[in-house]
Amino acid sequence: MKSMKKFFMLPVLAAGLVLGACSADEKETSDAEAVTDTASVENLTIGLSSDVGPLNIYTGNLDWLTDMVYDKLFSPSPYVDEPTPWLAESATQIDADTWEVVVRDGITWHDGEAFTAEDVKFTYEYYRDGPANRHTHHVSEVPQIDEISIGDDGRTVTFECGYACPSLQTITFADLPILPEHIWSNVENPRKYTDLAIGTGPFKLTEYVADQHYILEANNDYFMGAPTVGKITLPIIADSTAMFNALKSGQIDASSKTVPAELVSTFKGDAQFKLAEATNLSIVQFGLNYQKAPFDNEKFRQAMSLAVDRQAIVDTILLGQGRAGDKGYPHPDSPWTNPELSTPYNTAEAIALFEELGYKDTDGDGFREDINGEALQLSIKVSSGEPIYVRAAELMVEQYKAVGINMFVEALDPTTFAAHNSEKNFDTYVSLIGPHGVADPDQFIMSHRSGYLWAKEMPYAKMDELVTKWMAASTIEERKTISFDMQTLYNEQPTAIALYYPEEVYAYNAEKFDGYVESLGYGVINKFSFLPEATQQAVSATQPVIVE
Amino acid sequence: MNRRFSYFGKKLFQYTLVLFVAISINFGLPRLAPGDPLLYFFDESTIKELTGAQKQEVLDSVGLGGTLWEQYIQYLKGIFTWDFGTSIKYAQPVTEVIADKLLWTVTLILPALLLSAVIGVIIGAYSAWNRGRKRDIGFLTMMLTFQAVPGFWIGMLFIAIFAVQLGWFPTYGAVSIVQDGTTWGFIKDVAWHLVLPIATLSIATVGSNYLLTRSSMLESLGQDYMTMAEAKGVTKKTLIFNHGLRNALLPIYTQFTMSLGTLIGGSVVVETVFSYPGIGRLLYESVVARDFPMMQGVFLMITFGVIAANIFADLTYPLIDPRAKSSAVHKGGQ
Repeated sequence: MKSMKKFFMLPVLAAGLVLGACSADEKETSDAEAVTDTASVENLTIGLSSDVGPLNIYTGNLDWLTDMVYDKLFSPSPYVDEPTPWLAESATQIDADTWEVVVRDGITWHDGEAFTAEDVKFTYEYYRDGPANRHTHHVSEVPQIDEISIGDDGRTVTFECGYACPSLQTITFADLPILPEHIWSNVENPRKYTDLAIGTGPFKLTEYVADQHYILEANNDYFMGAPTVGKITLPIIADSTAMFNALKSGQIDASSKTVPAELVSTFKGDAQFKLAEATNLSIVQFGLNYQKAPFDNEKFRQAMSLAVDRQAIVDTILLGQGRAGDKGYPHPDSPWTNPELSTPYNTAEAIALFEELGYKDTDGDGFREDINGEALQLSIKVSSGEPIYVRAAELMVEQYKAVGINMFVEALDPTTFAAHNSEKNFDTYVSLIGPHGVADPDQFIMSHRSGYLWAKEMPYAKMDELVTKWMAASTIEERKTISFDMQTLYNEQPTAIALYYPEEVYAYNAEKFDGYVESLGYGVINKFSFLPEATQQAVSATQPVIVE
Repeated sequence: MNRRFSYFGKKLFQYTLVLFVAISINFGLPRLAPGDPLLYFFDESTIKELTGAQKQEVLDSVGLGGTLWEQYIQYLKGIFTWDFGTSIKYAQPVTEVIADKLLWTVTLILPALLLSAVIGVIIGAYSAWNRGRKRDIGFLTMMLTFQAVPGFWIGMLFIAIFAVQLGWFPTYGAVSIVQDGTTWGFIKDVAWHLVLPIATLSIATVGSNYLLTRSSMLESLGQDYMTMAEAKGVTKKTLIFNHGLRNALLPIYTQFTMSLGTLIGGSVVVETVFSYPGIGRLLYESVVARDFPMMQGVFLMITFGVIAANIFADLTYPLIDPRAKSSAVHKGGQ
């Protein structure tokens, strides 16, 4: 009997221990007093949630990690209005279609070879003419760089575009990582290239074990100042729970994966951890298949936008960790977004529009039939790997029910979802679009050509007119004004409705290292967090907001 | 002799046929799922920007540009030359990636299978002998609980208690990234990382071994030879283990040998919870990346494993049960 009691007590004991493990209050904080310098550290371990290969831009890609090893002509990114010269010493717009860039002297690649203007020319031509990658269209189409030449001084690179390219400095130069010609000119097939990346960046990739870890070591000769961290180890921990358990147990010092809303409280109040809030310039969007009925009608899309209560999604699903998408698309924090955009929630107006279009409930079942009187049932496809989006979609089913639109959720495995999405095999979908999609103004144009927000073979007179003006504009200010008009037009009849702007929360052990800064669109785990303060200031990196 | 040859010939034909069908399914199955390797190289919005020629160039660059028939022939040739192609995600030969992961998987799964079988059999036999008593009901309840509780939950519970709260074991990985450089240090480190995953896997599978042993043992205990042995005055231990358990072991042995076949497939759940770099996770990652060559390679390994385990069971079963031997030869000669 005694043993039986012990046996039945086991689950109770286990549950108690788990609760204890999850309680932040019980953590001892005495170690904190011993630590004095948290602005620089010899070793840092940051958990990584996915394996992106040996930082070969042609296979897996994670922008902040690529950025640790490679540099761009300007920094930090296309998501700020005035990037700082980086590998470039200066850039000058000669005329509407021409730019001259003077590259820095005295920089070396991680293997000791000198960085030259030839590397810049090679990289841009390789992205344009070589195997396609995510940068290709930023050289071949928007903008369209036709000619690249090097001046007699060996340091001046001239870029000539096929049409006006006033955003070359602010967008393109701040987006494309520069590759070493002496290595990449010998790569036969970049998609099978497994050598460790060689860049000019602040960290050298010294070890990569697939599915296990990366090791980055400081490039102490870095031209923008020696890094403040000597070595960064990045273990790959795919499971979210395992990641935060590793952080709590002290096995890692920070997580590159952001903390889900339901886990934030487990880190709050624990002196050794800090929670930094950052805007990753991403949007959780509700995509509509504008190539098929009923979404091929701009008023129907407008009604769909009016009928979704974005604030309810933020309050109910995100527990307040995010902002309602009532400023529309692109991201409102991007300097390239029209601050006047508004996508209100108004069910009365939505109902009026549905009625006007002829979508009426003729059989009294509470749901509207289509204009031919046929039942209308629309699916919301969503990746099963994103439970938050699944829950958001379920809430939207209820919201649309309130205006008489019958919708249902289809959760698909992540790759099947991506396949359906890329093949346009959906009515609607919920997914996340990152800063490259919603904070880069050139990408907004590209998205209207590629089939994502619009397909170039489909007529769209008003937008086409604006695009023509945009292409002719020779200054960045003119471009910005026209972009604002495009965004206004887009949000009146959106093909991807902004549901909410996620507010990301990063957790890190502040007793180990506390030098993190936010770079817009990159969160706090970015290369500037590991560079000297003067360099951080040069790229306008900001102190993150700490969640109390 | 002829009868025996005919029996083995028939078995060989059966296995060859099964192998061929399985090999063909392994090729077709990955391609039936929506999506292709382009989804690994490009995100959903970028993929829409690619022209047909660019898509073809990507598929050509990873060896998937030919027609299905050409790919199938290439795949069959590869099997005979032990060349399963190059992984799309890892950009390395499939065989090399599998060999690396297989070592970790065997290190994890084999001890867990053995531990689970040994504990399940011993407690199952003990429980059956004490049928209806409190200790039997106690073990039965415990094992049914283990059987019902999902493996990932056990793993998460262990991590929360023994790694996060007590700090005795690591929360993730198969080996520490920083080593002391000695072989003994490496072995200790690997063992330290294995404790929680093995415990999780053992607990998650011990229930079925226990229940099978208990029911098989109960059947044995009711046989006349047990009464006879008891009447002869053999000791309790001999009675349970030599007379009862020995006869009850047959279905358990079958289950164990069959489970050896699944060993190669690893355990997706446990490997994911503990971020363990085994075959289970490899397969999952390959499916997500639609890495056709890798999926084919792993499926093929699992197929070989299951068939090899079946052959092993077929060949060794008559050794522990002579009735099977005479029956097999008899049937083979018909």
